[in-house]
Amino acid sequence: MSAKRLQLLGGVLFAAIIAVPAFVESRFILHMVTLIFFYIAMTSAWNIPVFGGKMSLGHAAFFGLGGYTGAILYVKFGVSPWIGAAAGVAVSLLGGVVMTLPLLRLRGPFFTLASIAFAEVLRMIAIDWRSLTNGSVGLNIPFKPGWANLTFQSGKPFYFLSLILAVAVVFVAYRLRHSALGFHLRASASNDEAAQALGVDTRRAHFIALLWSSGLTGLIGVFYVFFIYVVEPSTMFSLTLFSLQPALNGIIGGIGTIWGPVIGAIVMTPFGEYLRFYLGTIQQGLNYVVYGVVLILTVNFIPGGIVSLVRPKRSNRSDGSGSSSDTKEAR
Amino acid sequence: MPLLQVKNLTKRFGGLKAVNNVSFDIQAGEIVGLIGPNGAGKTTLFNLISGILHPEEGHIILDGQPLNQLSPPRRSLAGLGRTFQVVRPFAMTVLENVMVPLLARDPHMDKARDSAMQMLALLRLEHLADAQPDSLTLAQRKRIEVARALATRPKLLMLDEVLAGLNPTEISENLPIIRQVHEQGVTIFIIEHLMDALMAVSQRVLVMELGALIASGTPQEVTSNECVIKAYLGEETPTC
Ligand SMILES: Nc1ncnc2c1ncn2[C@@H]1O[C@H](COP(=O)(O)OP(=O)(O)O)[C@@H](O)[C@H]1O
Ligand SMILES: [Mg+2]
Repeated sequence: MSAKRLQLLGGVLFAAIIAVPAFVESRFILHMVTLIFFYIAMTSAWNIPVFGGKMSLGHAAFFGLGGYTGAILYVKFGVSPWIGAAAGVAVSLLGGVVMTLPLLRLRGPFFTLASIAFAEVLRMIAIDWRSLTNGSVGLNIPFKPGWANLTFQSGKPFYFLSLILAVAVVFVAYRLRHSALGFHLRASASNDEAAQALGVDTRRAHFIALLWSSGLTGLIGVFYVFFIYVVEPSTMFSLTLFSLQPALNGIIGGIGTIWGPVIGAIVMTPFGEYLRFYLGTIQQGLNYVVYGVVLILTVNFIPGGIVSLVRPKRSNRSDGSGSSSDTKEAR
Repeated sequence: MPLLQVKNLTKRFGGLKAVNNVSFDIQAGEIVGLIGPNGAGKTTLFNLISGILHPEEGHIILDGQPLNQLSPPRRSLAGLGRTFQVVRPFAMTVLENVMVPLLARDPHMDKARDSAMQMLALLRLEHLADAQPDSLTLAQRKRIEVARALATRPKLLMLDEVLAGLNPTEISENLPIIRQVHEQGVTIFIIEHLMDALMAVSQRVLVMELGALIASGTPQEVTSNECVIKAYLGEETPTC
């Protein structure tokens, strides 16, 4: 596919997306597409440190910190969700500092493993700190519709809010990837020693990338809580829903690229909901077996993810070089 | 004052002294060669100077500034450039590879692109700017390695076997580039396993064997030194 045709296709698709709520009355479809937008935002935010080769399986931590902050401020102290969103970002940034400073010394897989523990610890705290979080029951967002309360009768406002979030996060990820920071991260991912010898403070680059990622994930968490009207530890700090799912979306779509997380979220969100609904009733956990199989097949047969199959061919000025390396580096 | 001062540097790997009490100076404007058999400790010495490894003993001073406590990126910013014996370019275009060190100093994308392009021109790589390095020959990849290190605008450039593995034609293409860089005012410290190539460019040569510095002098002095002949040819001589 040529870049021009891809752009045209993207434009048409985007126009269709904006028009959907005008024609579709089905709450189910609106909910599903909204969920896709949330997962696009979440996966793209998760993907920012992956530019530098750092894969977290603990992003539910930031999602939960943001969501809980927004909910507690609103339910317990009557603070506007819009201010709560800013506070949610601040708290998840703090969580980002606490998690990443000790973990940054760890290489690839060890970083990933340690990140799981972080979200689990926060889930325990959310269960035990009853006076603040109401324990495992959680907090309900009272139904008082209105923009000031970020609560709505119709599903349409959140359709557009989540769409704006998705576009904003993808845009931020795009800008970061093409900035000096993006270069430092990519250099570190492919040869950290050489990057350092060239003057790149790679630990600082990873740290900044994780802060962007955690702050954005916290922001998404706040909006998500008001979308589903409730915070509870097992949802907000869910390993499977918000730590594994973004990673899975990213890997299947194509990690470390801009469009991989978008495509991954679009494909995997309906698939995941479908599996959870149908297979979950047959035998709990069966849906994750299917996930595992899909993951293994992807990593083995299309290691660059779906995005590596649809990337437009770039003109290559090098003499006689093949296109074998095309898939390695995505725009 | 010398540009680089190395004093009593020692590095152990378990029981092995990979670098054993090594001291030497390099003056600004020099081009100094470092030879020695495989495993002599040459690359380890570079790793100590650039901060990838930490010595058990000894001091490294660049342009009057002690380097021991600085991280590798800080040493790079202080004016130390190096290439790696095993070239592994970043998985990005040739141009982007050279932009990395420039962006570590100034985050402006356009400026970095322009300077990187100039650097590629200097190393006759500009026609490959948009190529992926893994589609290139070893000789070309080694030149990317030099271009990247040179883009840091180093006071001292350390080259680790940038000619090894190249055929005679490629060597005769890459050798003048090293001279050209030197003529631009960069001090060069170069490891080369190939004696002939090294002798052709160096003003002064250091010789290492089993972690120790065993000789130093002009190429002529060193090639006639009995200890060096022994190290390379394994002949018994009473003085060593
Ligand atoms: N990271 C390391 N760990 C253990 N031993 C090492 C390490 N790096 C080098 N060595 C050993 O130190 C000695 C010197 O190696 P090196 O500096 O690479 O030699 P040269 O570059 O002169 O060929 C060799 O015996 C090598 O096996
Ligand atoms: Mg070596």
